[in-house]
Amino acid sequence: MQKHRRGALATALLAVALAALGLTATAQAKLTGEYTRFANCPYTNLEVKKCLLSTTTSGEVVLGKKKVPIEKPVVLQGGAGKQVEGIAPFFAASNGITLSKAPQNVPGGLLGIVPEASSPALVKALIKFFLENSLTGVNSTLELAKPASEIRVSENNLAAEEGVALKMPVMVHLENPFLGKSCYVGSSSSPIIWNLTTGKTAPPAPNTSISGKAGFIEFLEEGSVAFLKEAKLVDNAWSAPKATGCGGILSFLVSPIINAQLGTTTAGNNTAILNNTIYIAAAAAVRLNNEEHP
Amino acid sequence: MRRSKTTIGVAFAALAVLCAMFATTASAAPAWKFESKSLEGTEVVLGGAIESSMTIPGLTTKCENFLYKLTIENASGTGKGSLTEMPLYNCTTNSKYCTVEKIGAENLPWSSKLTTVSTTPYIIIEGVKVGILYEGEACVLGETFVTVTGSAGGSIDNSKETATFNSSTLSASGTELKALSQKIEWNGLFPTEAFQWHREQALSVS
Repeated sequence: MQKHRRGALATALLAVALAALGLTATAQAKLTGEYTRFANCPYTNLEVKKCLLSTTTSGEVVLGKKKVPIEKPVVLQGGAGKQVEGIAPFFAASNGITLSKAPQNVPGGLLGIVPEASSPALVKALIKFFLENSLTGVNSTLELAKPASEIRVSENNLAAEEGVALKMPVMVHLENPFLGKSCYVGSSSSPIIWNLTTGKTAPPAPNTSISGKAGFIEFLEEGSVAFLKEAKLVDNAWSAPKATGCGGILSFLVSPIINAQLGTTTAGNNTAILNNTIYIAAAAAVRLNNEEHP
Repeated sequence: MRRSKTTIGVAFAALAVLCAMFATTASAAPAWKFESKSLEGTEVVLGGAIESSMTIPGLTTKCENFLYKLTIENASGTGKGSLTEMPLYNCTTNSKYCTVEKIGAENLPWSSKLTTVSTTPYIIIEGVKVGILYEGEACVLGETFVTVTGSAGGSIDNSKETATFNSSTLSASGTELKALSQKIEWNGLFPTEAFQWHREQALSVS
Protein backbone atom coordinates (compact mmCIF):
# COMPACT_ATOMS: atom_id res chain seq x y z
CA MET A 1 0.00 0.00 0.00
CA GLN A 2 2.75 2.40 1.02
CA LYS A 3 4.78 1.36 -2.03
CA HIS A 4 1.81 2.08 -4.26
CA ARG A 5 1.34 5.51 -2.64
CA ARG A 6 5.01 6.33 -3.12
CA GLY A 7 4.78 5.29 -6.76
CA ALA A 8 1.73 7.50 -7.29
CA LEU A 9 3.46 10.44 -5.61
CA ALA A 10 6.55 9.98 -7.78
CA THR A 11 4.39 9.84 -10.90
CA ALA A 12 2.54 12.98 -9.84
CA LEU A 13 5.79 14.83 -9.15
CA LEU A 14 7.17 13.71 -12.49
CA ALA A 15 3.99 14.91 -14.20
CA VAL A 16 4.28 18.29 -12.47
CA ALA A 17 7.94 18.55 -13.45
CA LEU A 18 7.16 17.66 -17.05
CA ALA A 19 4.25 20.10 -17.09
CA ALA A 20 6.51 22.82 -15.72
CA LEU A 21 9.11 22.05 -18.35
CA GLY A 22 6.40 22.05 -20.98
CA LEU A 23 5.05 25.38 -19.79
CA THR A 24 8.51 26.90 -19.81
CA ALA A 25 9.10 25.68 -23.33
CA THR A 26 5.71 26.99 -24.45
CA ALA A 27 6.31 30.38 -22.84
CA GLN A 28 9.59 30.75 -24.70
CA ALA A 29 8.14 29.54 -27.98
CA LYS A 30 5.21 31.94 -28.01
CA LEU A 31 6.87 35.17 -29.09
CA THR A 32 7.28 35.73 -32.80
CA GLY A 33 8.98 38.19 -35.16
CA GLU A 34 10.80 41.10 -33.52
CA TYR A 35 9.15 40.23 -30.22
CA THR A 36 11.40 37.17 -29.81
CA ARG A 37 14.13 39.58 -28.72
CA PHE A 38 12.15 40.30 -25.59
CA ALA A 39 11.87 36.73 -24.29
CA ASN A 40 13.70 37.79 -21.12
CA CYS A 41 11.63 40.91 -20.55
CA PRO A 42 9.41 40.60 -17.46
CA TYR A 43 6.41 41.58 -19.61
CA THR A 44 3.99 39.44 -17.61
CA ASN A 45 4.39 41.99 -14.80
CA LEU A 46 1.74 44.59 -15.57
CA GLU A 47 3.88 47.31 -14.00
CA VAL A 48 6.31 46.86 -16.89
CA LYS A 49 5.41 49.29 -19.66
CA LYS A 50 8.39 48.86 -21.97
CA CYS A 51 10.82 46.05 -22.74
CA LEU A 52 14.43 46.96 -23.37
CA LEU A 53 17.27 45.12 -25.05
CA SER A 54 20.45 47.12 -25.45
CA THR A 55 23.63 45.59 -26.82
CA THR A 56 26.89 47.47 -26.43
CA THR A 57 28.88 46.35 -29.44
CA SER A 58 31.94 48.57 -29.03
CA GLY A 59 33.30 51.52 -27.12
CA GLU A 60 35.68 51.95 -24.24
CA VAL A 61 35.88 52.37 -20.50
CA VAL A 62 38.67 54.58 -19.24
CA LEU A 63 39.39 54.17 -15.54
CA GLY A 64 42.08 56.58 -14.47
CA LYS A 65 45.11 55.76 -16.61
CA LYS A 66 43.73 52.46 -17.94
CA LYS A 67 41.70 52.24 -21.10
CA VAL A 68 39.76 49.06 -21.78
CA PRO A 69 38.21 48.75 -25.23
CA ILE A 70 34.86 46.94 -25.39
CA GLU A 71 35.48 44.05 -27.74
CA LYS A 72 32.87 41.57 -26.56
CA PRO A 73 29.17 42.53 -26.67
CA VAL A 74 27.54 43.45 -23.37
CA VAL A 75 23.76 43.06 -23.11
CA LEU A 76 21.46 45.04 -20.85
CA GLN A 77 17.91 43.70 -20.84
CA GLY A 78 14.78 44.00 -18.76
CA GLY A 79 11.70 46.11 -18.44
CA ALA A 80 10.93 49.76 -17.77
CA GLY A 81 8.01 50.94 -15.69
CA LYS A 82 5.74 53.95 -15.94
CA GLN A 83 7.63 57.17 -16.37
CA VAL A 84 7.39 59.73 -13.60
CA GLU A 85 8.61 63.12 -14.75
CA GLY A 86 10.23 61.41 -17.73
CA ILE A 87 12.16 58.82 -15.72
CA ALA A 88 11.17 55.17 -15.49
CA PRO A 89 12.19 52.53 -12.96
CA PHE A 90 13.81 49.36 -14.24
CA PHE A 91 12.77 45.73 -13.80
CA ALA A 92 15.27 42.85 -13.87
CA ALA A 93 15.36 40.44 -16.80
CA SER A 94 13.17 37.39 -16.23
CA ASN A 95 16.13 35.04 -16.67
CA GLY A 96 18.07 36.93 -14.00
CA ILE A 97 20.73 38.15 -16.42
CA THR A 98 19.97 41.86 -16.59
CA LEU A 99 23.56 42.80 -17.46
CA SER A 100 25.53 40.10 -19.21
CA LYS A 101 29.02 39.41 -17.92
CA ALA A 102 31.36 39.85 -20.86
CA PRO A 103 35.03 39.80 -19.79
CA GLN A 104 36.98 42.41 -21.73
CA ASN A 105 40.70 42.07 -22.22
CA VAL A 106 42.78 44.65 -20.33
CA PRO A 107 45.58 45.76 -22.67
CA GLY A 108 48.96 44.91 -21.19
CA GLY A 109 47.52 42.19 -19.00
CA LEU A 110 48.98 41.65 -15.56
CA LEU A 111 52.14 43.53 -16.47
CA GLY A 112 50.01 46.45 -17.49
CA ILE A 113 48.41 46.79 -14.10
CA VAL A 114 51.00 45.32 -11.71
CA PRO A 115 54.47 46.64 -12.55
CA GLU A 116 57.02 44.05 -11.50
CA ALA A 117 59.86 46.51 -10.99
CA SER A 118 58.24 48.56 -8.24
CA SER A 119 56.56 45.65 -6.43
CA PRO A 120 57.59 44.14 -3.08
CA ALA A 121 59.73 40.99 -3.29
CA LEU A 122 56.86 38.63 -2.48
CA VAL A 123 54.64 40.18 -5.13
CA LYS A 124 57.53 40.11 -7.59
CA ALA A 125 58.02 36.39 -6.99
CA LEU A 126 54.31 35.70 -7.43
CA ILE A 127 54.12 37.77 -10.60
CA LYS A 128 57.13 35.88 -11.93
CA PHE A 129 55.38 32.62 -11.13
CA PHE A 130 52.19 33.69 -12.87
CA LEU A 131 54.06 35.12 -15.85
CA GLU A 132 56.00 31.92 -16.26
CA ASN A 133 52.71 30.09 -16.29
CA SER A 134 51.40 32.30 -19.06
CA LEU A 135 48.63 33.54 -16.81
CA THR A 136 49.30 37.14 -17.56
CA GLY A 137 45.98 38.04 -19.15
CA VAL A 138 43.66 40.22 -17.12
CA ASN A 139 39.98 40.60 -17.84
CA SER A 140 37.74 43.42 -16.80
CA THR A 141 34.05 42.60 -16.42
CA LEU A 142 31.32 45.13 -15.86
CA GLU A 143 28.75 44.04 -13.30
CA LEU A 144 25.70 45.60 -11.74
CA ALA A 145 26.62 46.86 -8.29
CA LYS A 146 23.05 47.06 -7.07
CA PRO A 147 19.76 45.35 -7.91
CA ALA A 148 18.34 46.08 -11.37
CA SER A 149 15.58 48.08 -9.68
CA GLU A 150 18.20 50.78 -9.04
CA ILE A 151 18.62 51.38 -12.79
CA ARG A 152 16.71 54.34 -14.25
CA VAL A 153 15.88 55.00 -17.89
CA SER A 154 14.53 58.01 -19.72
CA GLU A 155 13.28 57.36 -23.23
CA ASN A 156 12.57 61.05 -23.72
CA ASN A 157 16.16 61.99 -22.89
CA LEU A 158 17.48 59.12 -25.00
CA ALA A 159 15.59 60.40 -28.04
CA ALA A 160 16.08 64.10 -27.34
CA GLU A 161 19.86 63.81 -26.89
CA GLU A 162 19.78 65.66 -23.59
CA GLY A 163 19.90 64.77 -19.91
CA VAL A 164 20.48 61.33 -18.46
CA ALA A 165 19.15 58.51 -20.62
CA LEU A 166 20.41 55.61 -18.51
CA LYS A 167 21.51 55.67 -14.90
CA MET A 168 23.29 52.51 -13.86
CA PRO A 169 25.18 51.51 -10.67
CA VAL A 170 28.12 49.35 -11.75
CA MET A 171 31.38 47.88 -10.56
CA VAL A 172 34.39 46.60 -12.46
CA HIS A 173 35.62 43.09 -11.73
CA LEU A 174 39.34 42.62 -12.50
CA GLU A 175 39.96 38.95 -13.10
CA ASN A 176 43.21 37.01 -13.07
CA PRO A 177 44.41 34.04 -10.97
CA PHE A 178 46.94 36.32 -9.29
CA LEU A 179 44.38 39.00 -8.51
CA GLY A 180 41.98 36.48 -7.01
CA LYS A 181 38.21 36.37 -7.35
CA SER A 182 37.37 39.49 -5.42
CA CYS A 183 39.32 42.25 -7.12
CA TYR A 184 36.76 45.00 -7.75
CA VAL A 185 36.61 48.69 -8.45
CA GLY A 186 33.28 49.65 -6.96
CA SER A 187 30.94 47.66 -4.77
CA SER A 188 27.31 47.47 -3.78
CA SER A 189 27.99 49.87 -0.92
CA SER A 190 30.21 52.15 -3.00
CA PRO A 191 29.11 51.75 -6.63
CA ILE A 192 30.28 53.56 -9.71
CA ILE A 193 27.26 55.53 -10.91
CA TRP A 194 27.07 55.99 -14.65
CA ASN A 195 24.77 58.77 -15.82
CA LEU A 196 24.85 57.95 -19.50
CA THR A 197 23.59 60.46 -22.04
CA THR A 198 23.08 60.64 -25.78
CA GLY A 199 23.70 64.39 -25.47
CA LYS A 200 26.69 66.39 -24.29
CA THR A 201 28.52 65.74 -21.04
CA ALA A 202 29.73 68.42 -18.63
CA PRO A 203 32.60 66.77 -16.76
CA PRO A 204 35.01 68.36 -14.33
CA ALA A 205 38.60 68.85 -15.56
CA PRO A 206 40.79 67.34 -16.83
CA ASN A 207 38.08 65.68 -18.96
CA THR A 208 36.30 67.85 -21.49
CA SER A 209 32.78 67.60 -22.88
CA ILE A 210 32.03 64.71 -25.19
CA SER A 211 28.87 63.95 -27.12
CA GLY A 212 26.71 60.91 -27.51
CA LYS A 213 23.96 60.47 -30.07
CA ALA A 214 20.56 58.84 -30.26
CA GLY A 215 21.41 57.26 -33.59
CA PHE A 216 18.83 56.29 -36.17
CA ILE A 217 15.40 55.12 -35.19
CA GLU A 218 13.15 52.77 -37.08
CA PHE A 219 9.75 51.51 -36.00
CA LEU A 220 9.01 47.83 -36.38
CA GLU A 221 5.97 45.62 -35.78
CA GLU A 222 3.52 48.42 -36.58
CA GLY A 223 5.00 50.94 -34.22
CA SER A 224 5.16 48.64 -31.20
CA VAL A 225 8.94 48.17 -31.41
CA ALA A 226 11.59 50.84 -31.85
CA PHE A 227 15.03 49.97 -33.15
CA LEU A 228 17.82 52.46 -32.53
CA LYS A 229 21.04 51.79 -34.32
CA GLU A 230 24.34 53.59 -33.78
CA ALA A 231 23.17 54.96 -30.44
CA LYS A 232 26.12 56.29 -28.48
CA LEU A 233 25.79 56.63 -24.71
CA VAL A 234 28.52 58.51 -22.91
CA ASP A 235 29.53 59.69 -19.44
CA ASN A 236 32.88 61.13 -18.46
CA ALA A 237 31.93 62.79 -15.21
CA TRP A 238 31.78 59.70 -13.00
CA SER A 239 34.05 58.88 -10.12
CA ALA A 240 35.30 55.47 -9.06
CA PRO A 241 36.37 54.25 -5.63
CA LYS A 242 39.68 52.50 -5.02
CA ALA A 243 40.18 48.88 -6.08
CA THR A 244 39.70 46.44 -3.24
CA GLY A 245 40.16 42.72 -2.64
CA CYS A 246 42.94 42.28 -5.20
CA GLY A 247 45.53 39.57 -4.65
CA GLY A 248 43.55 37.44 -2.20
CA ILE A 249 45.35 37.28 1.13
CA LEU A 250 47.93 39.70 -0.29
CA SER A 251 45.26 42.29 -0.90
CA PHE A 252 46.92 44.68 1.54
CA LEU A 253 49.94 44.64 -0.80
CA VAL A 254 48.38 44.19 -4.25
CA SER A 255 45.35 46.48 -4.06
CA PRO A 256 47.50 49.59 -3.39
CA ILE A 257 49.76 48.66 -6.33
CA ILE A 258 46.76 48.39 -8.64
CA ASN A 259 45.37 51.67 -7.36
CA ALA A 260 48.72 53.32 -7.99
CA GLN A 261 48.66 51.97 -11.53
CA LEU A 262 45.08 53.11 -12.15
CA GLY A 263 46.03 56.58 -10.99
CA THR A 264 43.45 59.18 -10.04
CA THR A 265 39.94 57.89 -10.53
CA THR A 266 38.04 60.86 -9.17
CA ALA A 267 35.40 62.53 -11.35
CA GLY A 268 36.89 63.97 -14.51
CA ASN A 269 39.44 61.20 -14.93
CA ASN A 270 37.16 58.42 -16.16
CA THR A 271 35.14 57.87 -19.31
CA ALA A 272 32.53 55.44 -20.55
CA ILE A 273 31.67 55.37 -24.25
CA LEU A 274 29.13 52.73 -25.20
CA ASN A 275 28.10 52.17 -28.80
CA ASN A 276 24.78 50.40 -28.81
CA THR A 277 21.98 48.90 -30.79
CA ILE A 278 18.80 49.27 -28.77
CA TYR A 279 15.44 47.60 -29.15
CA ILE A 280 12.50 48.94 -27.15
CA ALA A 281 9.05 47.39 -27.23
CA ALA A 282 5.75 48.29 -25.67
CA ALA A 283 5.29 45.54 -23.06
CA ALA A 284 1.58 45.37 -23.88
CA ALA A 285 2.45 44.47 -27.48
CA VAL A 286 4.80 41.72 -26.31
CA ARG A 287 2.06 40.39 -24.02
CA LEU A 288 -0.41 40.52 -26.91
CA ASN A 289 1.99 38.65 -29.19
CA ASN A 290 2.47 36.08 -26.47
CA GLU A 291 -1.30 35.59 -26.13
CA GLU A 292 -1.86 35.47 -29.89
CA HIS A 293 0.64 32.64 -30.35
CA PRO A 294 -0.21 29.96 -27.84
CA MET B 1 51.06 92.81 -76.87
CA ARG B 2 49.76 89.23 -76.90
CA ARG B 3 50.03 89.20 -73.08
CA SER B 4 47.91 92.39 -72.85
CA LYS B 5 45.14 90.76 -74.99
CA THR B 6 45.20 87.72 -72.75
CA THR B 7 44.89 89.94 -69.66
CA ILE B 8 41.88 91.73 -71.16
CA GLY B 9 40.34 88.35 -72.04
CA VAL B 10 40.76 87.11 -68.47
CA ALA B 11 39.26 90.36 -67.12
CA PHE B 12 36.19 89.98 -69.38
CA ALA B 13 35.79 86.37 -68.36
CA ALA B 14 35.94 87.36 -64.68
CA LEU B 15 33.38 90.11 -65.32
CA ALA B 16 31.12 87.64 -67.09
CA VAL B 17 31.36 85.26 -64.12
CA LEU B 18 30.56 88.11 -61.72
CA CYS B 19 27.55 89.15 -63.83
CA ALA B 20 26.33 85.56 -63.92
CA MET B 21 26.69 85.35 -60.13
CA PHE B 22 24.84 88.62 -59.71
CA ALA B 23 22.07 87.41 -62.00
CA THR B 24 21.73 84.23 -59.91
CA THR B 25 21.53 86.26 -56.72
CA ALA B 26 18.88 88.53 -58.21
CA SER B 27 16.74 85.62 -59.33
CA ALA B 28 17.18 84.06 -55.88
CA ALA B 29 14.90 86.71 -54.40
CA PRO B 30 11.47 86.36 -55.99
CA ALA B 31 8.42 88.32 -54.94
CA TRP B 32 4.74 87.62 -54.35
CA LYS B 33 2.63 88.72 -57.31
CA PHE B 34 -1.11 88.97 -57.98
CA GLU B 35 -2.18 89.00 -61.59
CA SER B 36 1.54 89.44 -62.39
CA LYS B 37 1.79 92.63 -60.30
CA SER B 38 3.98 92.74 -57.22
CA LEU B 39 2.07 92.63 -53.97
CA GLU B 40 1.99 95.92 -52.12
CA GLY B 41 1.20 95.85 -48.43
CA THR B 42 0.19 92.56 -46.90
CA GLU B 43 -2.12 89.74 -47.85
CA VAL B 44 -3.39 86.65 -46.08
CA VAL B 45 -3.01 83.28 -47.70
CA LEU B 46 -5.26 80.63 -46.18
CA GLY B 47 -5.63 77.01 -47.00
CA GLY B 48 -5.75 73.40 -46.05
CA ALA B 49 -3.32 70.74 -47.15
CA ILE B 50 -4.54 68.76 -50.13
CA GLU B 51 -2.39 65.98 -48.75
CA SER B 52 0.19 65.78 -45.98
CA SER B 53 2.08 63.09 -44.11
CA MET B 54 5.10 62.86 -41.86
CA THR B 55 7.21 59.72 -41.71
CA ILE B 56 9.79 58.58 -39.22
CA PRO B 57 10.99 55.28 -40.72
CA GLY B 58 8.26 52.76 -39.99
CA LEU B 59 5.65 55.19 -38.67
CA THR B 60 3.62 57.62 -40.77
CA THR B 61 1.36 60.27 -39.27
CA LYS B 62 -1.34 61.96 -41.36
CA CYS B 63 -3.76 64.75 -40.56
CA GLU B 64 -7.10 64.97 -42.33
CA ASN B 65 -7.30 68.67 -41.56
CA PHE B 66 -4.00 70.50 -41.90
CA LEU B 67 -4.83 74.18 -42.13
CA TYR B 68 -2.57 77.19 -42.28
CA LYS B 69 -2.71 80.97 -42.29
CA LEU B 70 0.20 82.81 -43.85
CA THR B 71 0.53 86.58 -43.91
CA ILE B 72 2.66 87.60 -46.88
CA GLU B 73 4.41 90.77 -48.03
CA ASN B 74 7.26 91.93 -50.20
CA ALA B 75 10.08 93.60 -48.33
CA SER B 76 12.68 95.33 -50.49
CA GLY B 77 11.42 93.34 -53.48
CA THR B 78 11.70 89.98 -51.79
CA GLY B 79 8.73 87.88 -50.77
CA LYS B 80 8.43 87.12 -47.08
CA GLY B 81 5.78 85.72 -44.85
CA SER B 82 4.70 84.85 -41.37
CA LEU B 83 2.87 81.63 -40.63
CA THR B 84 0.59 82.64 -37.79
CA GLU B 85 -1.78 79.69 -37.47
CA MET B 86 -1.55 76.01 -38.25
CA PRO B 87 -4.33 73.98 -36.66
CA LEU B 88 -4.09 70.21 -37.11
CA TYR B 89 -7.09 67.96 -36.66
CA ASN B 90 -8.07 64.33 -37.14
CA CYS B 91 -4.55 62.99 -37.13
CA THR B 92 -3.88 59.27 -37.36
CA THR B 93 -0.95 56.90 -37.88
CA ASN B 94 -0.45 53.87 -40.09
CA SER B 95 0.02 51.75 -36.95
CA LYS B 96 -2.86 49.85 -35.41
CA TYR B 97 -1.24 50.45 -32.04
CA CYS B 98 -0.51 54.19 -32.15
CA THR B 99 -3.01 57.02 -32.02
CA VAL B 100 -2.30 60.74 -31.96
CA GLU B 101 -3.45 62.09 -28.61
CA LYS B 102 -2.24 65.67 -29.09
CA ILE B 103 -0.61 67.55 -31.93
CA GLY B 104 0.05 71.23 -32.32
CA ALA B 105 2.29 73.87 -33.81
CA GLU B 106 4.50 75.58 -31.25
CA ASN B 107 6.41 78.87 -31.17
CA LEU B 108 4.21 80.50 -33.79
CA PRO B 109 4.59 82.65 -35.82
CA TRP B 110 7.12 80.94 -38.06
CA SER B 111 8.88 83.15 -40.57
CA SER B 112 9.04 82.34 -44.24
CA LYS B 113 10.85 83.68 -47.28
CA LEU B 114 10.86 83.12 -51.01
CA THR B 115 13.90 81.99 -52.90
CA THR B 116 14.79 80.36 -56.20
CA VAL B 117 16.38 76.98 -56.61
CA SER B 118 17.48 76.16 -60.15
CA THR B 119 14.90 78.57 -61.67
CA THR B 120 12.05 77.11 -59.56
CA PRO B 121 10.51 79.41 -56.94
CA TYR B 122 10.57 78.05 -53.40
CA ILE B 123 9.06 79.02 -50.09
CA ILE B 124 11.19 78.32 -47.04
CA ILE B 125 9.40 77.97 -43.69
CA GLU B 126 11.78 78.53 -40.79
CA GLY B 127 11.59 77.75 -37.08
CA VAL B 128 9.15 74.88 -37.51
CA LYS B 129 8.17 73.25 -34.23
CA VAL B 130 5.36 70.72 -33.94
CA GLY B 131 4.71 68.69 -30.80
CA ILE B 132 3.08 65.27 -31.04
CA LEU B 133 1.95 63.05 -28.20
CA TYR B 134 1.27 59.49 -29.30
CA GLU B 135 -0.91 57.16 -27.28
CA GLY B 136 -1.64 53.48 -27.22
CA GLU B 137 -0.69 50.88 -24.62
CA ALA B 138 0.96 48.75 -27.29
CA CYS B 139 2.53 51.73 -29.07
CA VAL B 140 6.23 52.05 -28.28
CA LEU B 141 5.91 55.82 -28.50
CA GLY B 142 3.04 55.83 -26.01
CA GLU B 143 3.60 58.62 -23.48
CA THR B 144 6.60 59.83 -25.46
CA PHE B 145 6.45 63.43 -26.58
CA VAL B 146 7.84 63.81 -30.09
CA THR B 147 8.90 67.24 -31.32
CA VAL B 148 9.40 67.98 -34.99
CA THR B 149 11.79 70.89 -35.54
CA GLY B 150 13.73 72.50 -38.35
CA SER B 151 12.95 74.29 -41.57
CA ALA B 152 11.17 73.16 -44.70
CA GLY B 153 11.50 74.27 -48.30
CA GLY B 154 8.68 73.68 -50.78
CA SER B 155 8.56 74.30 -54.50
CA ILE B 156 5.88 76.66 -55.82
CA ASP B 157 3.96 75.77 -58.95
CA ASN B 158 2.61 79.05 -60.34
CA SER B 159 0.33 77.35 -62.86
CA LYS B 160 -1.42 75.24 -60.21
CA GLU B 161 -1.02 77.77 -57.37
CA THR B 162 0.33 75.13 -55.03
CA ALA B 163 3.36 74.56 -52.85
CA THR B 164 4.84 71.07 -52.67
CA PHE B 165 6.98 69.81 -49.81
CA ASN B 166 8.76 66.47 -50.02
CA SER B 167 12.22 64.99 -49.50
CA SER B 168 13.38 66.32 -52.89
CA THR B 169 12.27 69.90 -52.22
CA LEU B 170 13.71 69.86 -48.69
CA SER B 171 17.00 68.54 -50.02
CA ALA B 172 17.09 71.00 -52.95
CA SER B 173 16.46 73.94 -50.63
CA GLY B 174 19.00 72.78 -48.05
CA THR B 175 16.36 72.41 -45.35
CA GLU B 176 15.47 69.55 -43.04
CA LEU B 177 12.98 68.54 -40.41
CA LYS B 178 14.04 66.42 -37.48
CA ALA B 179 12.21 64.34 -34.91
CA LEU B 180 13.68 61.97 -32.34
CA SER B 181 17.07 63.44 -33.28
CA GLN B 182 16.92 62.30 -36.87
CA LYS B 183 15.89 63.58 -40.26
CA ILE B 184 12.29 62.78 -41.11
CA GLU B 185 10.27 62.78 -44.29
CA TRP B 186 7.44 65.23 -44.82
CA ASN B 187 5.18 65.25 -47.83
CA GLY B 188 2.68 68.03 -48.28
CA LEU B 189 0.73 69.68 -51.06
CA PHE B 190 -0.77 73.05 -50.18
CA PRO B 191 -2.92 75.48 -52.20
CA THR B 192 -1.72 79.09 -52.28
CA GLU B 193 -4.81 81.22 -52.38
CA ALA B 194 -5.35 84.76 -51.10
CA PHE B 195 -8.28 85.43 -48.81
CA GLN B 196 -8.11 89.12 -48.03
CA TRP B 197 -7.55 91.90 -50.60
CA HIS B 198 -6.73 89.72 -53.59
CA ARG B 199 -9.43 87.04 -53.46
CA GLU B 200 -9.77 85.01 -56.66
CA GLN B 201 -6.69 86.71 -58.13
CA ALA B 202 -3.94 84.47 -59.50
CA LEU B 203 -1.07 84.32 -57.05
CA SER B 204 2.36 83.72 -58.49
CA VAL B 205 5.95 83.92 -57.37
CA SER B 206 8.69 85.21 -59.62
